[in-house]
Amino acid sequence: MRLPRFIQIHTLHTYPAALLNRDDAGLAKRLPLGNAVRTRISSQCLKRHWRVTDDKFALSRLDVPMAIRSRATLEHISKRVQENGISAAMAQAAAEALRDAGLLDKGGKDKKGEDALKTGQAVLLGKAEIDYLVKRCTELAESAADEQVLKTDVAKALKDEKKNIEALKHGSGLESALFGRMVTSDILASRDASIYVAHAFTVHPAQVENDYFTVVDDLLHEAGELGSAGIFDTELASGLYYGYVVVDVPQLIENLEGIAVQDCFSPDTPPARRELAGRVVQHLLHLIATVSPGAKRGSTAPFDWAKFVLVEAGDWQPRSLAGAFHDALPLEDKHNSGTIRQRTVARLSDEIAAMDEAYGAPLARRFLALDPVEVAGAERTNLNKLADWARDIVQQGEC
Amino acid sequence: MSRHLLMRLQAPLMAFGGETIDNYGVIREFPALSMITGLLANALGWRREESERHDRLQSRLIVGARLDSDVQRMREYQTAQLFEKDQGWTTFGQPEGRAASPSYSMQPDGRKSLTWQRYRDYHASLNVLVALRLESADESPTLGELADALDRPARPLFIGRKSCLPSCRVFAGWQEADNMLHALQTAQLPDLDLRFRLQWPDGEGTLAGDRRIDLCDERNWVSGVHGGWRPVREGSFTASGVRQ
Repeated sequence: MRLPRFIQIHTLHTYPAALLNRDDAGLAKRLPLGNAVRTRISSQCLKRHWRVTDDKFALSRLDVPMAIRSRATLEHISKRVQENGISAAMAQAAAEALRDAGLLDKGGKDKKGEDALKTGQAVLLGKAEIDYLVKRCTELAESAADEQVLKTDVAKALKDEKKNIEALKHGSGLESALFGRMVTSDILASRDASIYVAHAFTVHPAQVENDYFTVVDDLLHEAGELGSAGIFDTELASGLYYGYVVVDVPQLIENLEGIAVQDCFSPDTPPARRELAGRVVQHLLHLIATVSPGAKRGSTAPFDWAKFVLVEAGDWQPRSLAGAFHDALPLEDKHNSGTIRQRTVARLSDEIAAMDEAYGAPLARRFLALDPVEVAGAERTNLNKLADWARDIVQQGEC
Repeated sequence: MSRHLLMRLQAPLMAFGGETIDNYGVIREFPALSMITGLLANALGWRREESERHDRLQSRLIVGARLDSDVQRMREYQTAQLFEKDQGWTTFGQPEGRAASPSYSMQPDGRKSLTWQRYRDYHASLNVLVALRLESADESPTLGELADALDRPARPLFIGRKSCLPSCRVFAGWQEADNMLHALQTAQLPDLDLRFRLQWPDGEGTLAGDRRIDLCDERNWVSGVHGGWRPVREGSFTASGVRQ
């Protein structure tokens, strides 16, 4: 059985006459690669656009099931406190106190037992956060005389470090689970990104031109003045871009569910605990395929959907297919072997076939393409099915 | 003769980080000992707080590198919007943020922010062969365990920064050699008449025209800072010179 520990996403996007990402001089970002300079889109730029997009598959529309989540989180904390040698009753009291004191809820409600665990607002607590809360609860439980005292102590502790707990909740959202978060000097509180994004680059030599433009002042014009109110120029680049993203699935589950990486796919972890991670990957695939980065959106309309998306899942070392484009594709082909897009996909397919032959790394693969192309060992499908497939393998824990 | 593990570092972008001061992320020509330690620890799935394991692995590593392509540097410009009240939580109970400063200016929504400019240097289109062995060889992790971990890493491998993802299998086989220099001169030579540049630890062979330099590329993994000096040698050779 193969674990879908890494999900690799390869894409091709076409952007004509756009300024997608620029440097401090206002020029299109570039990359010298192999025999030619290319234009480039930084990983930071790509991530920002996936993060802030507000559409059907926006990260903000993931609709986390609140009640189930907060119950799971509190049960998890209670179990971990018991593993530290605290009695079940005391551990339960500590978890209830966390909830009542406002960690997972609006606070002020004195609910007991099952009720206490069922309600409340969800916070996506990662392992670092849960480790910390378990440690604090264990310390307090060890010195408290009984459950009531413990509840008071936990409430007081949360109140004493109110600002820290607010920062903890604030830093525990979906975005930080995917992309990491602002680092403090405290390594124990850090949360590693679970998504690795390479800089996208054109598969062919950079095609850049200077766009000269003037601004006409209509009022001055009517008053009989000649000429323009301003003269400018900017760079526009056209290109077919190769993009590459890796999802570290165990890290994603750790960030979302607070489960240690080594337990994410263990038989003791029910698939329900991987459900959210699966849906995150599903949404991410839609975002990567359909959201365009770009400056000058109003004047260049740099909107494109991926012309090709290949998804690979498995537990072998993730590697991009950038090597296929180390030598830039010529813009024109004397042998007339198809459009540049078809030649690009053919190169990708050859690279995969060559890697399979050299290393034999078994990976599950599916792809979508607009062109009549085939990819070694991969089944063809559409975006919805591709994203659903990725979601399902994460949840099932096999591919 | 001893066995050396080979790693192939190849990607459109890599970063062999040097001393970052302020917002300038500079790079060096060769990968630091600390970077190789971190890369292997990442493959093994160690967590950053396991500092003693990192220290031990770093002290056992004997690493050399050969540049199989020309070095092309590229400076990446980034901006980030920082808000004045941004804070991160800590395990010592007090949130941590930045000091208030007049550099922040008011945004339309009433929050104060500033645009932080960062410069990050990268190696573009670089291809590097790394050779390494461990002393003592019997202790865990062994070279064999490292090779397995590179093929089935606990996390995605990256070369210096998280956006620098390898474009090939990183584990690249084995090389029997008398010392590190010998390994770098004989392993997987490309069929190019290039002058290859090398860096290897002092005491692992000498090459005509090489030079000895002191390098600060060891990290104290407990304190999180780099310190100390170790002697290395740098030199170059042509493949045809070796083949003669």
